[in-house]
Amino acid sequence: MTTLSWHEDVQLSRRSFSRRGFLYGVSGLGLAGAFDFRDTMTLQAEELRKQGRSMILLYMQGAPSQLETFDPKPGTENGGPTEAIDTAVSDIRIAKGWEQTAKQMQDIAIIRSLTNKEGEHQRASYQLHTGYLPTGSVKHPSLGSNIAKELSLANHDLPSVVSIGEAGRGQGGSGSGAGFLGVDYEPFHVSNAGQMPENLSASVNGGRFQRRLGLLDKLEGEFASRGGASVVESHRKITDKSSKLVLTPLTKTFDLSGESTGLKERYGDSPFGRGCLLARRLVETGVTFVEVRHGNWDTHDDNFSRTAGLISPCDPAVATLIADLKDRGLLEKTLIVWVGEFGRTPRVNPRGGRDHWPRNFNALLAGGGIRGGQVIGETAKDGMGITKDPVSVPDLFSTICKSLHVDAAKENMSPIGRPLKIVDGGTPVEKLFG
Amino acid sequence: MRFPARTQRPLAHNLVAGSLAPIIVATLSIAAAVWLTVGNTFAANKPGASKSRSVEVPTANGVAAKVDQLILSDLANAGVTPTGICNDEDYLRRASLDITGQLPSPRDVTLFALDPDSGKRTKLVERLLASPDFGKNWARYWRDVIYMSATEPRSRLSQADFEKWLAEQWNTSVGWNATATSVITAVGDVFENPETALIFAQSGVNEDVAAEACRIFLGIQMQCANCHDHPSDIWKREQFHELAAYFPRITLRRIMMPDEFKIEVLSANSDRGRGDQMRENPEQFVTMLDRNKDKKLSKEEMRQRPGVMMRGEAPGVPAQLIDRIFEQADGNKDDLITAAEIKAMPQPMQAGRGSTEHHMSDLQDPSSKGKLMQPKFFVDGATPGQNLSDLERRQAAAKSFTSSSNPWFARAIVNRVWCEMLGEGFYMPVDDLGPTRTARFPEALEVICQGFVANDYDPKWLIRTVANSQTYQRKVAAKSTSEDALPFASVTPTRLRADVVFDSLIEVLGIKEESLNGPARGGMMIAGGPRAAQRGPRFQFDSLFGIDPSMSKEDITGNVPQTLYLMNNSFLRSAVTASGNSRLGRLLRNNPDERDALGELYLLVLAREPSKHEVEICQAHLKEVGQRNEAFEDLMWSLFNSSEFLSKR
Repeated sequence: MTTLSWHEDVQLSRRSFSRRGFLYGVSGLGLAGAFDFRDTMTLQAEELRKQGRSMILLYMQGAPSQLETFDPKPGTENGGPTEAIDTAVSDIRIAKGWEQTAKQMQDIAIIRSLTNKEGEHQRASYQLHTGYLPTGSVKHPSLGSNIAKELSLANHDLPSVVSIGEAGRGQGGSGSGAGFLGVDYEPFHVSNAGQMPENLSASVNGGRFQRRLGLLDKLEGEFASRGGASVVESHRKITDKSSKLVLTPLTKTFDLSGESTGLKERYGDSPFGRGCLLARRLVETGVTFVEVRHGNWDTHDDNFSRTAGLISPCDPAVATLIADLKDRGLLEKTLIVWVGEFGRTPRVNPRGGRDHWPRNFNALLAGGGIRGGQVIGETAKDGMGITKDPVSVPDLFSTICKSLHVDAAKENMSPIGRPLKIVDGGTPVEKLFG
Repeated sequence: MRFPARTQRPLAHNLVAGSLAPIIVATLSIAAAVWLTVGNTFAANKPGASKSRSVEVPTANGVAAKVDQLILSDLANAGVTPTGICNDEDYLRRASLDITGQLPSPRDVTLFALDPDSGKRTKLVERLLASPDFGKNWARYWRDVIYMSATEPRSRLSQADFEKWLAEQWNTSVGWNATATSVITAVGDVFENPETALIFAQSGVNEDVAAEACRIFLGIQMQCANCHDHPSDIWKREQFHELAAYFPRITLRRIMMPDEFKIEVLSANSDRGRGDQMRENPEQFVTMLDRNKDKKLSKEEMRQRPGVMMRGEAPGVPAQLIDRIFEQADGNKDDLITAAEIKAMPQPMQAGRGSTEHHMSDLQDPSSKGKLMQPKFFVDGATPGQNLSDLERRQAAAKSFTSSSNPWFARAIVNRVWCEMLGEGFYMPVDDLGPTRTARFPEALEVICQGFVANDYDPKWLIRTVANSQTYQRKVAAKSTSEDALPFASVTPTRLRADVVFDSLIEVLGIKEESLNGPARGGMMIAGGPRAAQRGPRFQFDSLFGIDPSMSKEDITGNVPQTLYLMNNSFLRSAVTASGNSRLGRLLRNNPDERDALGELYLLVLAREPSKHEVEICQAHLKEVGQRNEAFEDLMWSLFNSSEFLSKR
């Protein structure tokens, strides 16, 4: 099997496309690829459309102020100088600075009544990624890894979970890792969207690279038989994933240069803008879960000008991502969630800052069957607490599962034999659907 | 087999574990003897002093034997059969990597195997402890413990200085109590006084310094009690803030120079030192600087100010700070500020923060000053007094932290070192100890702790003890997946730390550190200037392979970018060539026989001889490829991409 032609492969695809076969075909040709990138993408996207849904998490690291985003309180003492603007939906007003997002409001649902108890960054960030509070005994998988396990295409050449932006503390430190689900669902980190991830091209030609992989695999046996079996097993999985990534032409997904200048400008020439554009490309290629991080929103001082500086790259990127996915017919099957780990104190502190406030904070949802143009929940006039329809973290997670057609009550077995539901408790916010 | 929750008295747990009476009686007598010794001989640290002591001071070998005995009998009671003792090749590699962070050379492996001395393992440990690489290796470990949780990104610039300082401390057997005291009481320029690392890493913010010092030196996680009573522990919010009250007078001062930036840790014992003078007495402030007597200050006049203006800033107010003051104060935009305008300025920081005292914030009213807190040590309730200066407070904190009656100080480091060397600690996670947590083999832990205290907290003594124990010398085996399974029946094969992998790689490939270029990482917030040179290849490698050493070892599996680096990085690629004067090229020229070359390659990369089966696989590969150089390049690539190369065995 050395010289598969493009046509043969399409036919293969019609009858249940074998990606492993495809891989061999490509490497037999010496990697350069007889297939154009677009063709390959079309093949995989076709499968994707058959199969499933995906999610883009826009994670606002450091906890954004609800009052300067989607729950402004203009004209009140707590509201500060932040003004509100009209949106495409007549009775929804959001904070000034979000003009582009306002234009997409018919596709966006705002939750103003998210509520939680955890006000420490690491712990809350863990909770907003996994749905659980950190405990010493279990490393919980992130929701992204859980979703990837349920929805991802078997043997897809790209990792099923990709995270974009600077990673937090250490490996899987903030709960964004795969936890006990293991390396198959571990996120692939891209620190700079727009730059090709490092070390993706094989050090030697494709045939020799595969020969080396074969040799490596055989030589691993010795350590496995001498007490290293578990280490060898997880190393094999990572090696497998890495080599797939080396050999696939789909790595071109990471290259943004083929996108039109106009579209790139609409996303914005910023790390977050490029991250959102890359997220769209990844989802389009069949990646199940993409996280794009933006921050730091931890505005204990000088809240108003710092928040404005964070909003200016965020607004066009969010708005364009929604519009772009819609234009491509992908919005219906792609859920976008914009959220941080908690909110900020309605009262402005003497340093012009806002401190940690998990009691009420906000999120945006779009796509994935969510009915846009509506607001869930309501907060008091002074912003200090929820007056209608509180939504807990498990409620939010259940909602996400419902949107993606994932069974939130499904149990996975932790390494110590403890069954853990994807989401523990909570009910979906039904108003968001239909 | 589980022990009930422990109290803070070192021996108290023995009294309540009634069902284990026979073991306990034995332990009590050991522990009591050690305890008495500690009481008699505890003194301020003197390097090397223990050698002149009487025989009562527990020796490393003696303590190791007691620990083995305690662990074996508990394992036997639980019906667990430990693995056998590992062979010489494995011990040499394991001890070398754990103690010095360096792979043994092929020559070392051969000589060690041939040495008929039955005490050669103990001698090896001594040789490794005497190497300067010992201190360097462990300094890198602690560097990661401190800097991986830094909130001040620029603190990474002092990493290399800290590493050098701590290496020297460990190499010269400075007691861990003295080292901890230096870190807690550090002052001065952060580069010249690298013991300021922890304070710099936490930006000098007293609550963060308190939480980190507590986590690192006592293994107790208090930071959750910052905002509420600890949800899963006994600590109250007040107790955390009483700890924070030891540190409110720490100030970080930044000196901005055109071509360099300096940061100093200072004691700010009066409000004036924190720059509140401008706000507290605006009239006086204006009069003092007002050279043309117009009762207004221009930017030019402010630049003459010879003192400290605001917290974190330096004499000779930097232009950008003056701009900021003008932005906030100059209401009528006449480029002059008056006393009235200063009074109308918004408050610069949380009212409590600029103060020389710590206030526990009122969560319902975050803008209020909060409750004034006095320092009080949560372990024993010690109170150093009120109105103390910064250094008096921090010296009191250091004294309480390192007191021989505070059991957590020794337990925290013993637990960490044990975990680093055996793959699992007595307490897991490694930095979550405390009275409500349960240790496995608590008597064994206590015996080591007491020996460590009696030996003046000498880190070398601690490592020597662990390395000489039979428990450390067991064969590796996968950790049991059962939650209740006891550890230490075998050594867990864990992944090597980034620096160790880096050193192994450059050793094996024979490349110079400077020529190995790591992956570029965007977004690393490092300022330019003279210290930018510290972003060498090791720093870059660490940013890709670095792991927080406080994480559980079983969660550290590596990831795709790391694997891609080892597979494809262009510098590694060129170093694997068999032609020319590369390491592999020389090896092949010196060993024309294929079997010899294979043996040498295995010794070089994995520090052992290949097995018969491996020789067969390799020979088949050589035959299949039919080109010697190319086949050996494949082999070398496969060996340093193997899980064994990246793991302890």
